[in-house]
Amino acid sequence: MAKVTFIEHGGAAQTVDIPEGWTVMQGAVRNGVEGIEAECGGSCACATCHCYVEEEFLDRLAPPSQTEEEMLDSTASERRTNSRLSCQIKVTAALDGLVVRLPEAQS
Amino acid sequence: MFRFDPYSPAVDADPFPFYKTLRDEHPCFWSEEANMWVLSRYDDIVTALNDWETYSSAKGNLMDELPNRAGATLGTTDPPRHDRLRGLVQFAFTKKAVEGLVEPVRASANRALDAVKGEKSFDFVADFSSKVTVDVLFGLFNLPRENEREVRDKAVLMVQSDPKTRQKGPEHIAAFQWMGDYARQMVELRKREPGDDLITALIQAEIDGEKLADREVQMTITTLIMAGIESLSGFLTMFALNLADHSDARRRLAANPALIPDAIEESLRFNTSAQRFRRCLQKDTVVHGQTMREGDFVCLAYGAGNRDERQFRNPDVYDIDRKPKGHLGFGGGVHACLGTSFARLATRVAFEEFLKRVPEFARVQEHLPWMPSTTFRSPTRLDLAVA
Repeated sequence: MAKVTFIEHGGAAQTVDIPEGWTVMQGAVRNGVEGIEAECGGSCACATCHCYVEEEFLDRLAPPSQTEEEMLDSTASERRTNSRLSCQIKVTAALDGLVVRLPEAQS
Repeated sequence: MFRFDPYSPAVDADPFPFYKTLRDEHPCFWSEEANMWVLSRYDDIVTALNDWETYSSAKGNLMDELPNRAGATLGTTDPPRHDRLRGLVQFAFTKKAVEGLVEPVRASANRALDAVKGEKSFDFVADFSSKVTVDVLFGLFNLPRENEREVRDKAVLMVQSDPKTRQKGPEHIAAFQWMGDYARQMVELRKREPGDDLITALIQAEIDGEKLADREVQMTITTLIMAGIESLSGFLTMFALNLADHSDARRRLAANPALIPDAIEESLRFNTSAQRFRRCLQKDTVVHGQTMREGDFVCLAYGAGNRDERQFRNPDVYDIDRKPKGHLGFGGGVHACLGTSFARLATRVAFEEFLKRVPEFARVQEHLPWMPSTTFRSPTRLDLAVA
């Protein structure tokens, strides 16, 4: 389990436990986090689980695949240097305490 | 001794008492009739959906798989190939892409309603849900308008199974083969006359520098037609049934159509048309003390997970204020329904029009004829008396 905190655009924060091996998106959907749509269910095909990863965790993540890079170009809210698709972030013990901020809009 | 036979007409008609026993007493149950394990609790189903490496779809996802289908469609392919294929198809089904369907669905719903104007009762399936679905899907795929009726009949037949022989009957296989031939003709047509449509996009698409095989394009189109027509019209019918049975909810929606999306989510939870799908285990797995073996098939009973009181309070109550986030009405994980935006939009717009013109209606039949299917659930006829 790793604790992951989601901060919605409006500022509301929710911390959830996510099993290792799950993706951050799966943890969000399972716990009813508003602000993650995940229209495609996690196959990196829709860019509606966009999140901004707090800087200190960025280099603990595997870099985005080419497909994720392409999808990140079509997010509804602004793409920033710390933009990732939460369906592509696998939870590991090293990510315990991860904080992600959610964009204003996903679609 | 408890048995769970997904071929039984009793399960078609009302699976929910069986589901309750499964969840409470046999959360990991071996069904001899289905020849597979059954998972029925919400948490267990979500865990399986999130673990495609253990619970593989590559050996088929329908409870009764159709011949030579597994491996050639989105729902029967595992990542990473699945994800590349899904990326190609998903673009046609994003919210933005289906927004253009609002007016076609509205027009189609009104044409269907014009045809029954003045009638005291009509069959919601024949007169509304199947007409609207076929009409809109033909538009979405830009299919030639002849043989709409035949396509719809075959789509409905191919998802059924024979309750006596506990397998697909010759008529079901024939319907599937007919649909495969039809899809092949559509692929040939688009090869000759490419357009700005999904079939053309699939033909031209490449995954890792490789074009999709003709059979993959053909089977993917076949599945999209099946899901687009059968699942959507099945769900529209279930939604109408829920609103017939819950007149307070219906009156609130008629008075305030902004509530329709919440009611759709609750109907997806309460009695989704996609009741059960299957996976195949890639390694021995222990759930609730039972050892399931590599190679065993496992049924994920979405309809049971959606009524699990461990996840949803008072699960057997139809409550349009519930907002059931995370329900399994569209499955979940990487194979979650591709057409969610399309289905939500089509249902919302169709019912905005329906409730405007038919705000008061009631069931005529006490007992409904249910489709014989191990995977999907909806009545084949739903007579509504209108005020």
